[in-house]
Amino acid sequence: MLSLYLKENKFSEFEYFKEPVLNLTIKESTMLRISILYILLFLSETLIIAQNLSFPVRDRWSSNTAYLLPAGKWECGIFQPLRYGLNNKLEIHSSAIILPLIPNAGIKIALGSRNGFVFTSDHILSSPTIFLKLVSRKGIGGLISPEFDFPLIISISNSIIVSKPIGSESLFSGYAGFLFAIRGDKPNPQSTIDLPLVYQRMAHFYEGITFRTGISYKGAFSKKLFYEEGLQTFIVTRSKNNFFTENSGNLLWAAGKAIRIKGGYILSYGKYPFGTHWQLWPSIDLVFGSRI
Amino acid sequence: MKSGFVIKTVLLILLIPVTFFIIHSCEMPATNFDDVEDAIFYTKDQKADVSQPDSTIRVMTWNIRFGIGRGLWSIDACGDRVIFTEAEILEGLNNIVDRINLVQPDVLLLQEVHINSTCSAYIDELRWILDHSYFNYAVYGSSWKSQFVPSDGLGRMDECNAILSRWPITEAKRIQLVLRMDEGSLVRYFDNRYCMVKAKIEIPDVESFYAVNIHTAAFATDDTKYNQLVRFKEELDSITQSGSRFVAGGDLNTIPPGSDSTDFCFEDMCPGESFHQPADKPQHKDGSNYAPESKWLVPFYTSYKCAVPLGIYQSDQQAYFTHTTRPAHFWDRTLDYLFTNYRWRNGSVTTHQEFLYDSDHAPVSAEFVLERK
Repeated sequence: MLSLYLKENKFSEFEYFKEPVLNLTIKESTMLRISILYILLFLSETLIIAQNLSFPVRDRWSSNTAYLLPAGKWECGIFQPLRYGLNNKLEIHSSAIILPLIPNAGIKIALGSRNGFVFTSDHILSSPTIFLKLVSRKGIGGLISPEFDFPLIISISNSIIVSKPIGSESLFSGYAGFLFAIRGDKPNPQSTIDLPLVYQRMAHFYEGITFRTGISYKGAFSKKLFYEEGLQTFIVTRSKNNFFTENSGNLLWAAGKAIRIKGGYILSYGKYPFGTHWQLWPSIDLVFGSRI
Repeated sequence: MKSGFVIKTVLLILLIPVTFFIIHSCEMPATNFDDVEDAIFYTKDQKADVSQPDSTIRVMTWNIRFGIGRGLWSIDACGDRVIFTEAEILEGLNNIVDRINLVQPDVLLLQEVHINSTCSAYIDELRWILDHSYFNYAVYGSSWKSQFVPSDGLGRMDECNAILSRWPITEAKRIQLVLRMDEGSLVRYFDNRYCMVKAKIEIPDVESFYAVNIHTAAFATDDTKYNQLVRFKEELDSITQSGSRFVAGGDLNTIPPGSDSTDFCFEDMCPGESFHQPADKPQHKDGSNYAPESKWLVPFYTSYKCAVPLGIYQSDQQAYFTHTTRPAHFWDRTLDYLFTNYRWRNGSVTTHQEFLYDSDHAPVSAEFVLERK
């Protein structure tokens, strides 16, 4: 297997795993070294196979899946986060459009694969305080009443993502995670932005931990036209205004090697302070980045 | 290949009806209304006992300012509050219902009632008033309905004109008034949709009559309010021409002809504002200068009977003032009216100036003479 990688010039992938293996001291048992080597080789093998087979939907549209961007590649949408593949095990990302108002950074870590399932974990750190203070104002743009003040809020999100190719054209993904906030005093519960899509993503700033799970199915209509259907649920650990679910559908057109246009809908249902509510929003995005 | 085709086809087939269903069941960021559409009915499950009226019923109009009393609301009172707590709103509503129980109107025209708004803690105020009073029926039409007003932190807004009655209400319609044209299209999209609510009150053995409840634009600086009043008059004329009776009233946001004071820029001025100085732009505070409107209500006084006849008002104006913007001040102008094309019982009108802290408007009530069948 190793020689096969060397033949296919997969040095970079192999190099990544070589260093930890060589760092093992001779004091450790041979058995342990062999076990670790086998585990690392197994992980690298499955990752490399999964990432190098020709698979248009993954190559063109790997956001929200367990797949990382290849090392050195990047992509960014107007709304989709800026992503950059550091290496085959790490991807960093940040929502660029909101970065000045909501400083945020995330890292996606490849955990390996098994029986065709690819696993990653995703970790995001953000602080919405500047944004909340800015929109808490009088006049146009005042999304929150100026009578409210906000403490420093640090939001932390952790999730596990799993993806599995279905045939050669489709990709099934699922994820589960939780969001919580570290902050001073709880913000006033009447200072929420009571809008579908927004409210549930900010719920943990105010009270409780948000558990977020979801599934998505991506497929290809053609070599340049792809679709995605997704479903996600937010459950917040508090007594009311605590359940939300969203269904999204998108088409993605790979207009060029470096540009993709995405459009669709997001349908949400939730329990808000004003009652239960259904809402349909259109969604559109322009994604650009490294040539694929 | 075959299964992939089936999945895609099924997905597409499912998406089309689901999308249509959802588009039709979802709420737009702000709600627009038809020129005339059905008003929304509320009834009480356990009806209160109603006795047969003698020869008159009492009709009252009141802009209740969504139950915040003289609260320092930033939108209209130089205040710094936008959002009120549930406890504050419930206390305000309690006071309002106490006043209603004191006056005992049989038909009540309310303005600025909130149905499900952020700034009033999402309390359905009309339902609350209905459930905590002797009224059995209510109808309303929204005068400001937006899923989210992205200004001042107002958030979700559903404000309405409502008619409450002891007796059944039929033929209830919400009638759209012209929108303000002195503001930009984006602001206008999220702003008020001032309206009238017209409904028929059905009292046994008595000729049914219409109740019409209006709230006109408070801060318009162009001819919006004039056009709204013209539409109001047209509706009253139409009822009259059909041979029916009406009681009509509400917050007309303009002063009676012959008022001594027509410019309230200084009374309404907030700290840091300046008006009437050569360099001031605008010269007048929005909604505070009634001088150009001094004759706008003349057609109403000419054609119909005001509960407070013009001569009576002009002889002692202060006794009939119903509004002030200043939180701790007595009433300083008249904006609230009751009209009919039939008869008020002589001497029955009361401007309830004693309800000084329950709203920034005083209610006006009068006894409407009934016609036996």
